[in-house]
Amino acid sequence: MTSIKEKKMQKASVSNWFKSGDPWVWLNAGAVAISVIMVIGLLLLIAVRGLGHFWPADIVEAKYEVPGQPAYNLIAERVESLEVPAVQVREAGIEISEDKDIVSRTLMKTGNRDIYGSDFRWVIDDFLTEIKEPEMLFVAERHEWGNLYGYLKAVKEDGTVVAQTQDKQVTDTALATWKSFEKSIERVLVIHEDIYQIEKHDIGTINHGLERLRLKQRSLELKNELTPAILADLDADRAVFDQEYKVLQEQLIALYGEINRDTFVVEAMDGTISELQVAKVVRAFRPNAMNVLDKIGFYGEKLWEFLSDDPREANTEGGVFPAIFGTIMMVLLMTILVTPFGVVAAVYLREYASQGWMTRIIRIAVNNLAGVPSIVYGVFGLGFFIYFMGSSIDQALFPEALPSPTFGTGGLMWASITLALLTVPVVIVATEEGLSRIPRNVREGSLALGATKAETLWRVVLPMASPAIMTGVILAVARAAGEVAPLMLVGVVKLAPSLPLDGNYPFIHLDQKFMHLGFHIYDVGFQSPNVEAARPLVYATALLLVIVIALLNLSAVTIRNHLREKYKSLEM
Amino acid sequence: MSEMKAHSIDISAMQRSQQTLRIETETPCLTVNNLELFYGDKQALNGIDMIIPEKKVTAFIGPSGCGKSTLLRCFNRMNDLVDTCRITGEINLHDTNIYAKGTEVAELRRRVGMVFQKPNPFPKSIYENVAYGLRIQGINKKRILDETVEWALRSAALWDEVKDRLHESALGMSGGQQQRLVIARTVAVKPEVLLLDEPASALDPISTLKIEELIHELKEEFTIAIVTHNMQQAARVSDYTAFMYMGDLIEFGDTNTLFTNPSKQQTEDYITGRYG
Repeated sequence: MTSIKEKKMQKASVSNWFKSGDPWVWLNAGAVAISVIMVIGLLLLIAVRGLGHFWPADIVEAKYEVPGQPAYNLIAERVESLEVPAVQVREAGIEISEDKDIVSRTLMKTGNRDIYGSDFRWVIDDFLTEIKEPEMLFVAERHEWGNLYGYLKAVKEDGTVVAQTQDKQVTDTALATWKSFEKSIERVLVIHEDIYQIEKHDIGTINHGLERLRLKQRSLELKNELTPAILADLDADRAVFDQEYKVLQEQLIALYGEINRDTFVVEAMDGTISELQVAKVVRAFRPNAMNVLDKIGFYGEKLWEFLSDDPREANTEGGVFPAIFGTIMMVLLMTILVTPFGVVAAVYLREYASQGWMTRIIRIAVNNLAGVPSIVYGVFGLGFFIYFMGSSIDQALFPEALPSPTFGTGGLMWASITLALLTVPVVIVATEEGLSRIPRNVREGSLALGATKAETLWRVVLPMASPAIMTGVILAVARAAGEVAPLMLVGVVKLAPSLPLDGNYPFIHLDQKFMHLGFHIYDVGFQSPNVEAARPLVYATALLLVIVIALLNLSAVTIRNHLREKYKSLEM
Repeated sequence: MSEMKAHSIDISAMQRSQQTLRIETETPCLTVNNLELFYGDKQALNGIDMIIPEKKVTAFIGPSGCGKSTLLRCFNRMNDLVDTCRITGEINLHDTNIYAKGTEVAELRRRVGMVFQKPNPFPKSIYENVAYGLRIQGINKKRILDETVEWALRSAALWDEVKDRLHESALGMSGGQQQRLVIARTVAVKPEVLLLDEPASALDPISTLKIEELIHELKEEFTIAIVTHNMQQAARVSDYTAFMYMGDLIEFGDTNTLFTNPSKQQTEDYITGRYG
């Protein structure tokens, strides 16, 4: 009896529990928790992997002896460790003692690609002996060929030795040699900066001027207006540029002579002694001798380089500044284009068009436009904007530059327009929503004062709808900033020679190709000749892209909240 | 408490003299001739004929849906905003038919201002709300704007309350203040006619009293037509009253006569509360 009663009660309590709504609360809370954990996990993963890259890792020196193969000396930094089944290693022909099931392997970055042909090698931990971390080991980041690892032997000026050492331990001579090496690098970096300024800016400006002269001459030629007098003028201008160029070139030759003065001698892990130019070095440091504070300082320096410098070595080293700049500039241009276009379309649809089957069809079409895969927009942008409109523009406005295209090829403007087209449905829908929410009596209030419909729209309705418009813009920015596929067709490149905004007339170069963080991730991660070296940069760039998008969105949200506060709706 | 007393005195002062006004002796401001209005197929006004006398207060009473608001909105062509609305007949503002072809509707609405049931200030400052109508007309001289804003706010008995916060948002005001602001805003463009569509129905009793006092003062300068649900209010503020029922104008005449000695049975039933 009692047991049946109990069962009944249990049943009742379970159904009561369902009725109480608790399970749904748990279900919802669980779903939210999972989403939050996934998002945080994602961010943590890319943050840890990406940001860890800039930390100066210690360098180990060890003897590596695989049974049956000659032993050699290894100088490298640890990258990552993996546990693998011993069987797999045995099959690869390496002898492992029978009692082991699992061996751990480590990926070592040995650098010195110019000597060994590759930067990385896998080693089996068991065969590493005599592991130590000598303080005199140093790393040199170079403009080419990746990192260099080894012991500094000597520093030379014009072939004469200014400091040298045979020691691999910390001794006075070793430190003195290191000091003079550091001094030499500092000097070289200053000269390098001068060379960069001259090559990039001064000579760039001259080239720009010469190109403009050439185009001017060609355009006059096409119009049959080229008189000998004008030609003489042009030649005179050209002569001025040539003169300037000659001066700069002499400066450059002098600077190159200066920068190539110093060399240094280094001993690599296999005992190879090589003499290299200090000019090739970007920075040199001894991680094993650094304390935590030094490392933090170094980390900040590397991070800043990543954010503010141009990429080096097929994008696997250096910074991503042009990509950050390109991304933000493209998004801002897109916003400037999409906002008025979307708002005007929404105002017509909601306020002027008579509401019938036609407007309904247009709305459906607009909504479907938002669902079209983005690559389709890329193809459309390439076919319509670039090949059709761009080449028409070239023929009409830039005939002097033909056959090389000005707007008839991918560029910043076409990319922005393509993305504006991609995101315009979002703005239209959000704006329409906003317009429909403006209370009728406010419009009537304005009309009753003698305002026309257009005046009412412009002075009352649109300001009140501006928070909704901003919501649309926020969604548009969020979508456009992360879009990569269409950009690959309409103007993004892996390495742009110059920024689309600079000091040369007309300052904003809408026809120029540009770099983009999203494409940079793809390029570094999958198109790079040195995948292992590039992988951390993929994470770092991904993190940066997320941060850039978040910042863009955050600023739009701030503007919207400000507007919302200002035009708080009249619900009473 | 003293404030309340002051109001009650004002109200008694507002009680009009018992002498009967005669519509025939008034100057007509608006003349309605055989006005019919349809929403789609449904007829909402059936052949209305009446005049709105100049510088007097004309009240429209009647049960919900009787067409009194619709009629009021005909006077400044607010019904044009309803797509399905169709109108025959004519309304003359002084001597011009406002439904004639080529009428500038915006200009008409400047001459015939309207205040709505719910206060609808714009999300701008108090000053900008009042200056709105002037700015629409292209008046942007600060001196003229300042003067007009002050005059309008004084006319709406709001100046003393807001003179220190003219540049704060109008949305921070109380409902009653907002409604007076809307009246000030309407007055600022100096219309000839003021249409008030249940201007006090969303307000508390004190604000209502203030609005009624205001109407009393404004009729010195403006022709006023007011729609109200509240028969006491109609009796208190108006000179003439029109009773409407089911789209018909049942009775129209001097307010005292209509309330004390209605000529139609329907009117008597309504004002004595037998139906409506």
